[in-house]
Order: sequence, then C-alpha cells, then structure tokens
Amino acid sequence: MTSLLEGLHLFFSYGGRGVLHDVTIEVQQGQFTIILGKNGSGKSTLLRIMAGLLKPDGGTLQVMGRDLNDLSLTERAKIIGYLPQFHRPIFPFSVEDVVLTGRASYVNLIPGHEDRRIVLRALERVGIIHLRLRPFTELSGGEQQLVMIARVLAQEPKIVLLDEPTAHLDFVNQAHVLRLIREFADSELAVVAVLHDPNIAFLYGDRFIFLKEGQVESWSSSQKPWDTEVLQKVYGPELRSIPYQDRALVVPIIDSK
Amino acid sequence: MQPRLALFLIYLIPVPLLIGSLFIGPADTVSTKEVLAWLTGPWFAPTPSAVLDSGLVRTIIWDVRLPRVILAFLVGAALSGSGTALQALFRNPLVDPYLLGLSSGSAFGAALALATSWMPLQVSAFSFGMAAVGASYFLARTRKSVTVISLILSGIIVSGIFTSLLTIVQFLTDPFRLQTIVHWTMGNLHNASWAKLNSSAPGTLAGLVWLLLFRWRMNVLALGDEETRAVGLNPEHQKLLVLIPATLAASASVAVAGVIGLVGLVVPHMTRMLIGPDNTRTLPASLALGGSFLLLVDDCSRVAASFEVPIGIFTTLIGGPFFIFLLRRSRVGWEI
Amino acid sequence: MLLLSLVLEGRGLFPLASEVAAQEVSAQTIEVRDFRGKALSLRQPAERIVCLIESALSGIYMLGAEARIVGISANVYREETYRYYAAMDERILNKTLPSPGNWDFINIEKVVGLKPDLVIIWAHQEEAIRVLEERGIPVYGVFIRSFEDIYQEMLALGNLTGARERALQLVAHTRESLGRIQSRTAAMASGDRVRVYYMWAQGELETSGKGSTVDELISLAGAVNVCGSIEQEHLVVNIEKVLKWDPQVIVMWHNARKDPGDILHNPMWQSLSAVRQQRVYEFPGIFPCDLWTLKFQYAVKMVAKWCYPELFRDLDLEKEKLVLFRELYGERPALFERMH
Repeated sequence: MTSLLEGLHLFFSYGGRGVLHDVTIEVQQGQFTIILGKNGSGKSTLLRIMAGLLKPDGGTLQVMGRDLNDLSLTERAKIIGYLPQFHRPIFPFSVEDVVLTGRASYVNLIPGHEDRRIVLRALERVGIIHLRLRPFTELSGGEQQLVMIARVLAQEPKIVLLDEPTAHLDFVNQAHVLRLIREFADSELAVVAVLHDPNIAFLYGDRFIFLKEGQVESWSSSQKPWDTEVLQKVYGPELRSIPYQDRALVVPIIDSK
Repeated sequence: MQPRLALFLIYLIPVPLLIGSLFIGPADTVSTKEVLAWLTGPWFAPTPSAVLDSGLVRTIIWDVRLPRVILAFLVGAALSGSGTALQALFRNPLVDPYLLGLSSGSAFGAALALATSWMPLQVSAFSFGMAAVGASYFLARTRKSVTVISLILSGIIVSGIFTSLLTIVQFLTDPFRLQTIVHWTMGNLHNASWAKLNSSAPGTLAGLVWLLLFRWRMNVLALGDEETRAVGLNPEHQKLLVLIPATLAASASVAVAGVIGLVGLVVPHMTRMLIGPDNTRTLPASLALGGSFLLLVDDCSRVAASFEVPIGIFTTLIGGPFFIFLLRRSRVGWEI
Repeated sequence: MLLLSLVLEGRGLFPLASEVAAQEVSAQTIEVRDFRGKALSLRQPAERIVCLIESALSGIYMLGAEARIVGISANVYREETYRYYAAMDERILNKTLPSPGNWDFINIEKVVGLKPDLVIIWAHQEEAIRVLEERGIPVYGVFIRSFEDIYQEMLALGNLTGARERALQLVAHTRESLGRIQSRTAAMASGDRVRVYYMWAQGELETSGKGSTVDELISLAGAVNVCGSIEQEHLVVNIEKVLKWDPQVIVMWHNARKDPGDILHNPMWQSLSAVRQQRVYEFPGIFPCDLWTLKFQYAVKMVAKWCYPELFRDLDLEKEKLVLFRELYGERPALFERMH
C-alpha cells in the first residue's frame, strides 16, 4: 500500500470562522476512504482542499511525494480527478462530448482519436456506452451522475475525489454508483468520497474519517467506526448501530411506548 | 433535419451565395449577362475583355460589389462567431457580442471621431469597443475571478455609461454630424470598399482564427468554472482566451459596419438548433451561416430600394420574427 | 424654364399680395404668420429677440436689426461662424451675447430670464414653443423647405423688426440676381444640361432628391440633379446608381473630413465623367453659401459657373462674393476683410 496523498495539520477558515482545525489525512492506493460528518462539519471543504480548489491557511498537502502547490493545474488534473457537487449545464451537449472534456489536461487544442477511445472506454466501464449520443440534459439524475463519473475516469487520475456522489439519487442508483466506486478502489485507484449517509458508507468503504466541527474524531483501536459510542460522539446521542453481516447499520432511536 | 446534412448544407451555401451576390444590385445598372461576361472573360473571352475591363462593369463588380459582398460575409461571420463563443463562455444563450458594452463603446468612439475628428473613425470605434469590453471585464473581477452574473451586470452598467456619453456627444453636435452618427449606429454596408475591407479584415480574421483554434475549450468552459478547474484548466485564463478574440473580431467588424443588430444572437441559436451544441462543429458552422445570413439580408436590401436602408434595420426586422418562429417550433438547443 | 424665370422676375418687381398683406393691418399692430401657420401679432417691432436659429440670425443681421438681439444659439460661437459674426458684432466678438440654447436644446429658464418679446426657433420644437407661449412670449417658428420659404421668412423678420423696406429690397434683389443667372441657361435643351451629383458632408452617398432645396439649387443653376427621380429630401443612394447616372459634375457641401481630392482618387468613382474630367467641387464654407439664407444665391452662382464655365466666363466668383455680401449685410468693413 502506498500513500498517494497526505495532508498534515490542515487549517482553514472562511470569513473569520474556523472551518478546519488541525486535520491530518492520508489517502492510500486501492482504498476507498469516506469522509463523514454532520452538515457544516467541513467535509466538502476538506475535499476541495485535497483537490487543490481551496488553499489551506496552514498545513501541507503532498501528492505522490510532491507539494500540491508545486503542481500545475494540468499536472494536478492528471493525478487527481475531482467530481464537484451536482451541477446542470445549460447546453444539451451529448454524453460523449461531456465526458470528452475530462481529457482537457491531455488535449492541446482539439481532442484526437486516442482521447475519443479513452472516452468510450470510460463510458463502457461505467456502463453507459448506450447513452453516448444522448443529450446530457435529457438524462435522469442517476444517469447524469454516471456521466460525470465517466468524465473523471477519462481524466485517467490516480486519485479520485467525489463530493457527495449520491446526492439527489434514488436508493437503487445510490447502490449502483457506490458499487462502481468500490470497483475503482479495487482496481488500484485511491478513492475519497464525502457522504451524508453512514449506512451506505459502511457498506462500501474501507476507511472512515469523521469530522466534527472541523476536527477529526478518533476512536480507540478496539472500537469499530460503526460502534454506537463512536457514532454518538459524531452525530449525537439519539442513535444506535445494529450489526449487519460483519459491519453494522445505523438507525435513530425511536420511543417504544 | 439530420445534423450531418445540415452541416453539409451550411458549408455549401456560401459558395453559390457569394458568387450569386455579385449579380445582385439595383435593376438597371449592369445586366446579368454583363456580369457573367466579365467574370468568365479571362477564360472564355466571348467579349473583348479590354472593353469590359475599362468600364462601368468592372467598377461595379470589382470595386463596388466584390468588396461589399466580402465585407458583408466577414462581418456576419465575425458577429455570429463571436456570439457563439460568448454564449458558451457565459453559459447563457441570451448573450451577444454587444452585451458587454461593445456596441455602445464603439458607437461612442465613432461619434467622438465624427464630432471632433480627433482620430480616424474606425480606429476610434475599434478602440472604444475594446475598451468598453475591457472595462466590463475588470469591473466584474473580484477576488481574481469573474462570475458570469457579475460580468453581465457590469456589461449592462458599462453599456449604460457609454450610451450616456454617446448622448452627450450627440447633444453637443450639430445636425449634420448628428445625422452621420445616427446613421452609423444603425449599421451600414453601403460604404464598403477595398480600403474598408483592408482595415477590418486583419482584426476580424485574426479573432476568428483564434476562436477556431480554441473552440473545443469552449465546450469545457460551458460546463462550469469548477468543472473546468477540475479537469486542469484555469477558468479565468480560458475565459480571457475566448473573450479577447471574440471582442477583437466583433470590434473590427463593428468599426467598419456600425452596429448591426441581432446577428450575434440569432445565428448562434440557429446553428445550435441545426447541429447541436458541440462548439467544435457549431463554431465553424456559425461562421458560414452568419456570413451567409448577413450577405443574404444585404442582397435583399440592395434589390429592395434604389436608395440605401441601414442594414441593421433589416437584420433586426428579418432576424427578430424568424428567431421567435424558431423558438416556438423546435428544440432550442439550450435549457433554463 | 423661361416662363419660370419670367415669373420669378415678375415677382421681384411686384411683391405678391401675401407679402404686402402683413404690413397693412394697422399702423401699430404687426401681424405675421409663421411656418406652423400660427398668426403672431406684436404691438410694435420686437425689441428683445432671442434667435436660436443661425440662418434666421443671419437674416436679422442682413436687415441691420442686430441691436434687437438679446440671445443667440451657442452654435454661433463655433469657429466656422464665430469669425464672421465677431466681425459684425462687438458683443459676439467679446462673447457677451448670451446663448440660452443651441439648434436642438433650449434652456427655457435662461430664455425667459432674458425677457424676450420674440423668440425665433424651429417650428418642430413644439414642447419648447408651448412652454414659451404659455408664458406669453410670442414665438416665430421656422421651417425652410425651399428658397421661397426663405423669402417668406425674410419678409416676416422684416416686419417683426420694423425693417420691412429693407426686407422687400433684399428679396427683390435676390430674385433679380437669380433671374439673371437663369436667363442665360433658359434656352438650353434639357439634353444639353449638365448632370450634377450633390454630396452632403454626412457621407459620399448622402444626397438630396426631388423637391429638396438642393434640387432647387441645381435647377436654378441650369443643371440637372441626377437624383431628381427620387422624391426625398435626404437619402443615401446606392453607389451603383451614381455610377449609372454618370454625373458630369460633383458638388460637395462643405466637408471637414473630405475634399475633392479624396473623390478624385477613390478607385470606386473612377468611371465617372466628373472624376475623369476633374470636375469635383466643394463649397468653400457653410457661412458664405448657406442654403437656408439669401446667401443661397451665391451657391447657385458657384454651381452655375462650375457647370457652365464658358457661359459664365464673365462671372468672377470672388468679386461676386464681395458684391453680394455688401448688398446683403450692408457696409461692414471688418466682415469683408474676413471674406477674402
């Protein structure tokens, strides 16, 4: 296992309010790391810092042994694929055209045959090759998310960062997208995702980082991340975990009269 | 229509149109036969070419119609190419080259030159057009980034300021100059000449070639700033790389032909409706279609009356209703 | 054409009934109709006149009534007219004569502050006219469409300023002088008349058609306006039309940005007879040949001489100008110095 991305003692504040406080994170090849926490805990900010879209106020970020700041945007894009939160374009580009934009850091001015081949491979891998000529704007939310994931793959990155890849998706699509992401990790990519739902996270993830008020919550080596005490520290007292296979599910406590 | 067929037709149309336009003019000046004889003279020589060459026929075809036809095509291409690029850049189908203050800046520059003779008209119109867009850009720039909304807003403000300045010039000038200024702002091609073409073509062509080179980047930009950055391009740099040539081409055209309305808005839409939003195909097609459109409108205006009506009036009167018709009956090529 | 010139000369000798009518209402009251068709009546000649039209102002100076002027158009202070008016009026020379507006804009407050008993502005400036008339200030609205309108305006100004005799004399003299020009070309067959293309300063293709003052100017000079088939006061023609019409003489209105050399060297105009024979002429300035004043007769003479140099061999334009200006403006040595 090699560590591809290391963030040490990261600090970030926005408008005088501290968002991240001394966060240290390590991302390893072949692992699916999931960042969890409540709304406003700084999950997306951390991911955006890792993607180089935000500059931390303090701390260092190393990508494959090099400082992130020393990498040009193009070099960075060849290593890190970042899926922003869902955004709808105005023009009905075809699926193929949207995915092709992932090649921007490899293309000089106009994409060539090789780029188109890589795009088709990405579409096949995500399982939407049949959609390639459809206008992006006419697809369902789940299909659109798959297209954007294919775009990240077309970038041929070593590290994939996904910001809430399952938001706006129905239950079935959530599972489909996460199974896909799981496969990326199994094929030696380093994958980091921000997720809302701890249940689906526990089903697919390898490593979990809990953020609470901008700080990383840790747990002792004897505990598992889905242990009730750990979860209560992050999300509050009103929940408990139920064992499921070798992992667990999280449910809120309801009054049983 | 099949996009492939549409594309084929769009590239085919300009050829007969450019040649055919040489035959078009006020009814009684030169006959079709004379034009044909002059055009084919060098190869077939049915009429002694020396006779044709010295006279009215040569002047009308070579010095009057040819520069006008080429200028009309070039200006139409520049306005619609620039419109296509800016719409992708702003991810907004309501944008045209005039939105960022280009037209009001150029009009002010032209008026200033006409009223005070401080600088040649075209130079002044061109510089102020570029300056107005530059001002809009820098006013919109906050914390090293330019959002689409702030750019459009500052464009509206800058347009307003230059329109007021234009009004001041109009207000202070005499009726003769006022009339010249008003005519200029309505757009005109009737003063076309080789000299005008020579002064406009370098800027226009440079801008258009630059846009053509960067046309795929517009696809990347059209998906959003964050999406652009994620794939390794700096959206701020890319915006400038599109904004500068788009403004250059449009300014160079506006400087010689005045403010010709709606071409930069309508033609990009027509092109996208016909062949889709992919700028690698849409941009070159919009050049061909825009050039053909303005040339055709100018041909109509040349046949219609024995006196000249400002071309800007025709483009708006023809383009406006046609655009509404297209919007109502077909897929428009964009979504809110 | 012969008949027309007789009629014009006849008019010069015997003023028309309408021209006489204005003076005879009563010994005290002055009755005048302006170009809106509105009747004005003044108890006595106006003493404080605000005149925002430069051409009408020129008429008042011709009538020798400039002492009655209390306000003028700001345009008069522009270089091209200032030099002439400064030679005629100390107040303009020293820039002490107020200018409460220009050809387009009127500062009502300033106008009212000058306490005028007559305001002369364009007849289409309806808003301003209404406001002034509501304040009881008589307004004489001007709109010149033909040389006959200039005569009418001069006679009215004569009445309004108590210089009726002078006005009659100026108009009669102008008619006489034009009659002399016309009589020389009167017998000419229409095919022999020179074809003239007139070019306004707004652009090479901006000209005037049938029914315009320019059309009148050209026919008074015995020539033919090539654009006379199109009935429009002002129009932009298609250059192919001009090429087809093939004018023999091109007359340019005074133009700050172009001179005949630009036309002679423009490749597009090379096929024209006027260019090949180098017969492209420009009016020397706006003031000396103002088409909206009696000075238009000088413009007619210039065009006549340009078109028919043989026929008007004896017509010395420079001398003619001085004689004419002496007649129109009276003895003003400083002005004549400027005219040279």
